Amino acid sequence: MSSPIPTNHGRRKFLQTTGAAAASAAIGLPMLATPRRASAAEKLVVVSWGGNYRTAVEEALVRPFEKEFGVAVTLVDTPDLAKVKAQVMTKNVEWDVFDAVGPMAMTGSKAGYWETLDPALFDRNDLVAPMTKEAVPFYGFTGGIFWDAKKFPEGKAPQTFADYFDVTKFPGKRTLRNRASETLEIALLADGVAPDKMYPLDVPRAFKALERIKPHIAKWVDQTPQTTSLVETGEVDYSYTYATRAKASQESGKPTQFSFKQNLIGLEYLVVLKGAPNKANAMKYVQFALRPDRQAALMDLHGNTPASKKARALMKPGVSKWLSDPQNKNNLLSNDAWWADHYDELTLKFKEWVLS
Amino acid sequence: MNARKEGWIYVGPATLFLFLVMLVPLAYVAYTSVTNAGGDFSLASYHRLFSSDLFKRTLGTTFQISILASLCSLALGYPIALHLARQTPRMRAIYMVLVLVPFWTSILVKSYAFTVLLGRAGLVNQLLSFVSGSTVQLPMLFNRFGVMVGMTNYLIPFIVFPVLASLLAIDKSLYRASEIMGAKPPRIFFRITLPLSLPGVAAGVLSTTVMSMGFFVIPALLGGRQDVMMSNLVDFYTRETMDWNMASAIGVILLGIVTLAAILADQAKRFGSRPGVPA
Repeated sequence: MSSPIPTNHGRRKFLQTTGAAAASAAIGLPMLATPRRASAAEKLVVVSWGGNYRTAVEEALVRPFEKEFGVAVTLVDTPDLAKVKAQVMTKNVEWDVFDAVGPMAMTGSKAGYWETLDPALFDRNDLVAPMTKEAVPFYGFTGGIFWDAKKFPEGKAPQTFADYFDVTKFPGKRTLRNRASETLEIALLADGVAPDKMYPLDVPRAFKALERIKPHIAKWVDQTPQTTSLVETGEVDYSYTYATRAKASQESGKPTQFSFKQNLIGLEYLVVLKGAPNKANAMKYVQFALRPDRQAALMDLHGNTPASKKARALMKPGVSKWLSDPQNKNNLLSNDAWWADHYDELTLKFKEWVLS
Repeated sequence: MNARKEGWIYVGPATLFLFLVMLVPLAYVAYTSVTNAGGDFSLASYHRLFSSDLFKRTLGTTFQISILASLCSLALGYPIALHLARQTPRMRAIYMVLVLVPFWTSILVKSYAFTVLLGRAGLVNQLLSFVSGSTVQLPMLFNRFGVMVGMTNYLIPFIVFPVLASLLAIDKSLYRASEIMGAKPPRIFFRITLPLSLPGVAAGVLSTTVMSMGFFVIPALLGGRQDVMMSNLVDFYTRETMDWNMASAIGVILLGIVTLAAILADQAKRFGSRPGVPA
């Protein structure tokens, strides 16, 4: 209430507008009550994934960034593309930097939700994957097979995707993700498609292979934590999960095991929202997050593969056993550009197939 | 005139609040459902929905789960209400806590608790294995059974409260009179207690069925691939395919079904409460 003039103006305008605008103004009203000068202070809003992921981002990126640039950073949990859509659509953008998995980043690019990134901000030769006009790779996450080592001793559990689909040799209940991306690739790898011949995906062949495994899938997992908890509680025998989750499971004392014989590597990207209120700071933050020393610090905590090649040498030796092997010819790197063009159509097709 | 003005002071703020947070967004949802991605008028979303197998199957599942869960809750909730009605007010207050504690517990917490209980190596299977002396691994999780357990657990209080209210409203002298006339307990139940508690049963079953239609967390956490309900589909179109026109159309259809159910139930109740004393 310290600035009555904008508030009154806001209220009058608020009464004049209709429908959606009225609703968005109602949400925005408390903002109008804060004095203008508050926005003069250096601020930044970063969206991150919550839990121990968030703690690591706070420690390795946010606090050092605040110290170096004098910017107050607010961390918000859970990147949600639907919320981005709402913010950009109502021109009420509150987030600056967004942490997006590949298909999310590419879908957002297609919809025009991101600002263009200046390539001069990054050392492009140092990146493990090419950056796009709007998104820069942040790290790589490693998907693979996970099991209870107490139940299945060495050699008794499936370790490649072909094993995972071989229900006679490895009987038992399994999981797969309830999403088209990753799952279709796994099916094709299991069916014998070579990683370098993967894209464009042979979709009918993938579904045919999935048809084989469908009766043995106990749960099509939506919530990532379930990928490990279902194995830990004995609900399923093997599960598809990520090296970071397997690391957390082992570090909490569970007798679980993760296979590096064959991995699916997905990329996480950083993007800046279109019309971000603190755009200049956002650009500085993205550049900062790609610096080899910051990458090493964050990946030491997460156990993901850094996007900066130089960072790998700076990482703690104990963590490197959780990184996927770049020399392994069985591994597949997800092609997010291909997914950007097929994501919506295949997601729908996949969900309908799961239900049928 | 004065009284009318005063009335506005009492209900005005709430009316304004509800108008802004409910009617305006709802109107926007309805508007979104009849436009296309470009913002022009189009019934394409409805057309696509009614030709989609995914939607038809989900609609069927939603009805099945809602009605079945509501009936299960009635079967378990009615005896509880009956038992509570027979207590002294003091004892009833104490027993009521047992109904209220699960009612106040977060649905998320309860759903996760059920995964511990119902799992393949969960407590229930462990107990059964111990009792039977062999390994029992009944599939109770990630299927319709799991959804039913979770939903029934959540819905029981919503049956107990209205049924209990009806039971307590029954004139005690009716029981005394029937006993004097020589009626045995089963006869008293079927001729007096049950018919007179029907308004509470109808209110309870209706509200639980309508509530179940919008369930999201329980089918997502305890259900399998065949247990997707309408709100899970709304979530899918909102967050995954980002097709808000489709999501809005589903919302409007769901609202229509629920409104229709409420009107029908109201009619039925009026028909049921026509003057006339049960013989």
